[in-house]
Amino acid sequence: MDLDYILGALPDLMKGLKMTLMVSALAISLSLVLGALGAALRTSGHALPRRLVIGYVEFIRGTPLLVQIFFIFFGLPSLGIRFSVFWSGVIALTVWATAFQIENVRAGLASVAPGIRDASVALGLKRWQHAILVVLPIAARAALPPAMNTVVSTFKNSAYLQTIGLVELTFVAVDRIAYDFRAVEMFATICVIYLFCVFVLAGLAKLVEHRLNRPFAER
Amino acid sequence: MLLLEFRNFLLAGFANTLLLALVLTAGATLCAVMFAAALSTRSRVVTGCVYSLIECLRDIPLMVTVLLAYFVLPKAGISLNPFWSSALSISLWGGANGAHIIRAGLASVPKGQHEAADAFGLRGWRKLMLVILPQAMPVIIPPYVSLVTSLVQASSLGAVVGVEEVFRAGQVIIEQTTLTRGGSPAYLVYGFLLVIYFVLCWLISLVGRRCEQHFTRHLTRTDAASPVPRGMTQVVPA
Repeated sequence: MDLDYILGALPDLMKGLKMTLMVSALAISLSLVLGALGAALRTSGHALPRRLVIGYVEFIRGTPLLVQIFFIFFGLPSLGIRFSVFWSGVIALTVWATAFQIENVRAGLASVAPGIRDASVALGLKRWQHAILVVLPIAARAALPPAMNTVVSTFKNSAYLQTIGLVELTFVAVDRIAYDFRAVEMFATICVIYLFCVFVLAGLAKLVEHRLNRPFAER
Repeated sequence: MLLLEFRNFLLAGFANTLLLALVLTAGATLCAVMFAAALSTRSRVVTGCVYSLIECLRDIPLMVTVLLAYFVLPKAGISLNPFWSSALSISLWGGANGAHIIRAGLASVPKGQHEAADAFGLRGWRKLMLVILPQAMPVIIPPYVSLVTSLVQASSLGAVVGVEEVFRAGQVIIEQTTLTRGGSPAYLVYGFLLVIYFVLCWLISLVGRRCEQHFTRHLTRTDAASPVPRGMTQVVPA
């Protein structure tokens, strides 16, 4: 282990980390929004959108993310649809994560007992009031733990994007290894960085969960 | 048709993918059982170490683990070819996830069952195999099947370090045809690969559902003719 070497590599690695965080943050926020929309379609009464969403979720969950990334980055351009490396990465990661978030939100919605609808009707709440004021808070509490798991996975899976040449954390490390052969130093460093980020994300998840459950906490 | 032209090449790759997936499933199961066993020992030191190892394996991106095994192991004097290096790293990752599944399954068996087994004089292995595990299986199998499909999908990571499996075969076909014929068939090849993986994972989940039915068959008895469970009829005199 050569600490000086690691310190010398840190500025490059931090640039990589910045890219990792940017791609993951975009993919995470997009997938959460699209996941909620997808879950709404999935639970809606219309058969066609429901089937389409089910098919999408099953297909994405049944195929490797790596192949999805290559399909989007190398496959789509031969059909005339071209994105930059960055946006290919964001799109691939979002497409993947959305499938999982749809399932998470759907499970959350399923945890809302059917009698609650009657209670809302009895209180004279309108449909949107029922959705926003009643269903959302209940479903969010149930959906939060698995959704946060997917958020963490999305962050970790951004490492897959090094295969298409996105200059993120893993790419920087592998690139330096190709020149300096300091594999041990580089991998130790990025492992520590990834672990740190995952711990922070998991801690944030716990915090939000704790806060949401505060009304029900025992005093 | 490009895919038919290279069908032997693709088939060889697919055979390698299947082989790697089998090795991964076996390796991950082995690791999972060992981790779970280590976690249930009384020694604080052992459980602490294994627990941290499992957490690290789960929290570090799999891509990094695969590359790490490929680049760092040779430095420690362990030279593995791409196949076995990715088999090792992905198995360990699968084992870390599997250990949690097994532990959750075992924990789901009510305490009374342990006491009942003790009362029957069943100890150690016999207690585990005859009483606890059969009841834990319905809880273990569904997440375990999805772990196996994850392992199949993760086998595509081998292509990054040069395992000649089906995804790598696809990449090679694209490189060759793009060079020799102009125009990239990437959407066709990768689209085809997506379908192949999807069908494979779908088949695995079908088999998984069958296994699940096997262990829950006592709960879903539809035979209305015999309302009394089998075995009981001999005990209760007519």
